[in-house]
Amino acid sequence: MSTLWISLLIIAISGPVLWLLKPQRSHWFALLAALPPALVTGWQLLQLAPAAQGQQLFVSLPWAPSLGLEISLRLDSLAIFFGLIVTGIGTCIAFYTNYYFEDDPRQGFFYLLLFSFMASMLGLVWANDLLSLFVFWEGTSITSYLLIAFKTGDKSAVEGARRALIVTTAGGLAMLAGLLLLGQAAGTFRIDELLAQPHLTALPVFPVALTLLLLGAFTKSAQWPFHFWLPGAMAAPTPASAYLHSATMVKAGIYLLARMQPGMGDSPLWFWPVLMIGTITMVLGAVSALRYTDMKAILAYTTISALGTMTMLLAFPGEEAALAVTVTILAHALYKAPLFLMAGIVDHAMGTRDLRALAGLWRGLPWVAAVALLGALSMAGVPPTWGFLAKELLLEEFYHLATHNEQIVGGLGFAAAVVMAVFSAGAIFGLVWEAFLRRRADDREPAHLHHAPSFWFVAPALLLTLIGAFTALFIGQIQTIVTAPAAVIAGAPIDVTIKLWYGWTPVLITSLAILAVGLAIAGSRRFLRNTLNRAPARLNGVYVYDAIIDAIYGFAYRLTRIVQGGPMAPQISVTLLAGVLVLAYALLQVDVSKLGMLESNELPLAPEFLIFVVAIVAAVTTVRARSRLSAIISLGVVGVAVTLFYVFYSAPDLALTQLLIEVLTVILLILVFFRVKPDTRVFEPNRRRYLRFGVAIAMGLFGAGVVLVNHFFQVGPSINPYFLANALPIGQGGNVVNVILVDIRGYDTLGEITVLALAALGGFAVLRSPKLHALRRRINRLRRRPAGDFQPAPPPLSPPSIGGPGGHLEVGND
Amino acid sequence: MTEIYLRLVDLILTPIIVVMAAVFFLRGHDNPGGGFIAGLTIAAAIALHILARGATDVRQRISRYLLPLVGVGLLTAVSAALLGLYNGGFFKGIWLKFYIGTVQIKVGTPQLFDFGVMLVVVGMTITYLLNLSEIDEDEKPADAAAEAKHR
Repeated sequence: MSTLWISLLIIAISGPVLWLLKPQRSHWFALLAALPPALVTGWQLLQLAPAAQGQQLFVSLPWAPSLGLEISLRLDSLAIFFGLIVTGIGTCIAFYTNYYFEDDPRQGFFYLLLFSFMASMLGLVWANDLLSLFVFWEGTSITSYLLIAFKTGDKSAVEGARRALIVTTAGGLAMLAGLLLLGQAAGTFRIDELLAQPHLTALPVFPVALTLLLLGAFTKSAQWPFHFWLPGAMAAPTPASAYLHSATMVKAGIYLLARMQPGMGDSPLWFWPVLMIGTITMVLGAVSALRYTDMKAILAYTTISALGTMTMLLAFPGEEAALAVTVTILAHALYKAPLFLMAGIVDHAMGTRDLRALAGLWRGLPWVAAVALLGALSMAGVPPTWGFLAKELLLEEFYHLATHNEQIVGGLGFAAAVVMAVFSAGAIFGLVWEAFLRRRADDREPAHLHHAPSFWFVAPALLLTLIGAFTALFIGQIQTIVTAPAAVIAGAPIDVTIKLWYGWTPVLITSLAILAVGLAIAGSRRFLRNTLNRAPARLNGVYVYDAIIDAIYGFAYRLTRIVQGGPMAPQISVTLLAGVLVLAYALLQVDVSKLGMLESNELPLAPEFLIFVVAIVAAVTTVRARSRLSAIISLGVVGVAVTLFYVFYSAPDLALTQLLIEVLTVILLILVFFRVKPDTRVFEPNRRRYLRFGVAIAMGLFGAGVVLVNHFFQVGPSINPYFLANALPIGQGGNVVNVILVDIRGYDTLGEITVLALAALGGFAVLRSPKLHALRRRINRLRRRPAGDFQPAPPPLSPPSIGGPGGHLEVGND
Repeated sequence: MTEIYLRLVDLILTPIIVVMAAVFFLRGHDNPGGGFIAGLTIAAAIALHILARGATDVRQRISRYLLPLVGVGLLTAVSAALLGLYNGGFFKGIWLKFYIGTVQIKVGTPQLFDFGVMLVVVGMTITYLLNLSEIDEDEKPADAAAEAKHR
């Protein structure tokens, strides 16, 4: 087995193992948790040099060879680059988590989710198959949902989680459609083969597929106007915020764009949307960050801004832009993750992360202050950090464009980048000043240090910031780590030498000016905060989202009232008639005269006639029964009669199943209705009864028609011989029905039992809902009320319970 | 619904039905039976138990295992299908055949899959039976209190 599979498996299995080991707050457990991602990081580092020279690792596993489905992975420089961020930051997060949760009994569950996410994310960046990519993509969405909603009692956390899930999975589904279109049109689902196609952008489906792909990328990477889910996701425990919602998962969209850039980047359909959305997101995120006093909210908005920067840069083909992207990604991962971890430690130690209540933390938390300061310097772009390098390359890209006959795009981009840089520097300087350096807190009772963190709690964040702040000094030696993936994005080898010092260029002077203005903004932060908070709330994405979701629910409610509002009988009539109409139409399309007749002229046997008579008598009894119980029992007799037919026509499996279903149905009905008092059925006006009689006759005639047509005519080539011939050789079983169920048509069965499981879950949720309990109580009261011959139906149900079990429970008028 | 004769029937029949279900399951691949039918049979046994002991009693003992049972069933089925990857693809069956004396025993992933089907069917059916049958048992006290208030 290849090391790629082993790495994925190690990460995936670590989750359950750590969960079962029941984490304790001891150093060895932190080390144990950090070990698996550290191993995978080390292995990837070893692959770095060969990959930079163009060697790639491929593995693939056939999934359903008959359908051409496979899972395939590829390790090239870009995959390693993102993979290193996933496992490298993951190592620190796994270590940190052990201290963050202390004695929380759910810590093990958190590890399970964390490592499941890590495995999905690693699979996502390693995937070489469009469909595998999608599966891993959705895996990250689901684990993200579970991690945001980790505090299940917190309403805002659950809401934020749902919002994030709906936005990202909606985008994911759009992306799936795009991937399928692209894969079908290009004739391959392998990413490397797809991107190698010369006429990818000329495909007729390309505009649609690209739009769908971009939707997926933009929703995942929190681009405007979908950015609002990310601040809501901050209700997650801090290790998850730092890892998923800053360092890795939100970069999945960026990864997709980077991966597709060499194949699609030269199309104007790519350039304009990516550039516009990226720029808007970049500026909006940076400016919005100033509005907040919650540390995590500030960090979330600056993350949105950074993601916007990456998106915007990915609009441009060429090596400078590609290099700026990779450096920005690396720099961001190295300063933003520790800043989040810092916020978590402060929250832990002080009991709050609201800046208004914090001041002078550097005395009590010197190591944390060091993390915050170094992280802030990198984020603001002070030399010699990675952040500085990223900002230089970003400004350089636009400066170059502006001075080389792209004045408008270059000039506007330059201006936007400067605005972003100024505001994010201002936001982070303000944060560090307020929390760590100033003497007195704002207006409130200041928070007190009640719980000093151990050094090991701070160590992972410190390590990351140190790497982020100082390793850029050795950029000449280690530049492969950013140039190799940039070469993959640009589609051509890069032979630029990155330097920290190019002399007093206009870009450097701008960069220094940005820092000065950033400090000024940090100084006037209160004024700006108040001004920005005056913006109308309607502009907030959450409001728009909530309005849309409310509209969908409202529509569903009205529709449900129309189609499922009333008692059972009309609903069933409509369902049956609809079925009859559709199938009758299909039956009419069959030209009977052209079909071959089948030879079967046997007359029914005497016992069959007997069963027939029993069934009819029982059916009539059911209709005429005076009490519910007798109706239920005679309905059971009808079922048993049908079962006997199956026995005669040698379908023992069907007979067994039918018999058991009959038994269970009767028991269920008895359990439900046994104590319904009075146990008499209410007879309805004749007109309605005739109507239902008509529906029943139509259904019966139709059923008989279908059977007769099938009996006398050869409608299509029969599939029976295939099953009969193959059950034993392929399925190793003598019972053809069972072999069909569990082997030959196993996919169908898997789908069916999934539906069953969902039905169990849904039924459980609906039948346990408080609304339904209130309804039941109301119905019980109605039942007890002494009534004459006619019991009125209970008043219409409002508000509706999900799925409409109300119809089943309305017993007043059946 | 806790009449003494029903309890007696329950005491004698329920174990027999469960054994029957096991037989159905084991012979399923070559003779009439199988996971779906075995699941329904077990469900019928539990239904009999509910009739004899009352839904509240049974619910207190087993309801918390039901949804996990559905989950485990689904996982079993998926793992059985995943095992097929060793034989060239998702859902490819793997069979082991050996002899005990002269009796041939076959064990294969499709049977494991069938077992998952059985668990899902049992869990789902009993979830509904128990949740639909609780109507007035749970709510009698609340209703009685409410009615007392009215008067």
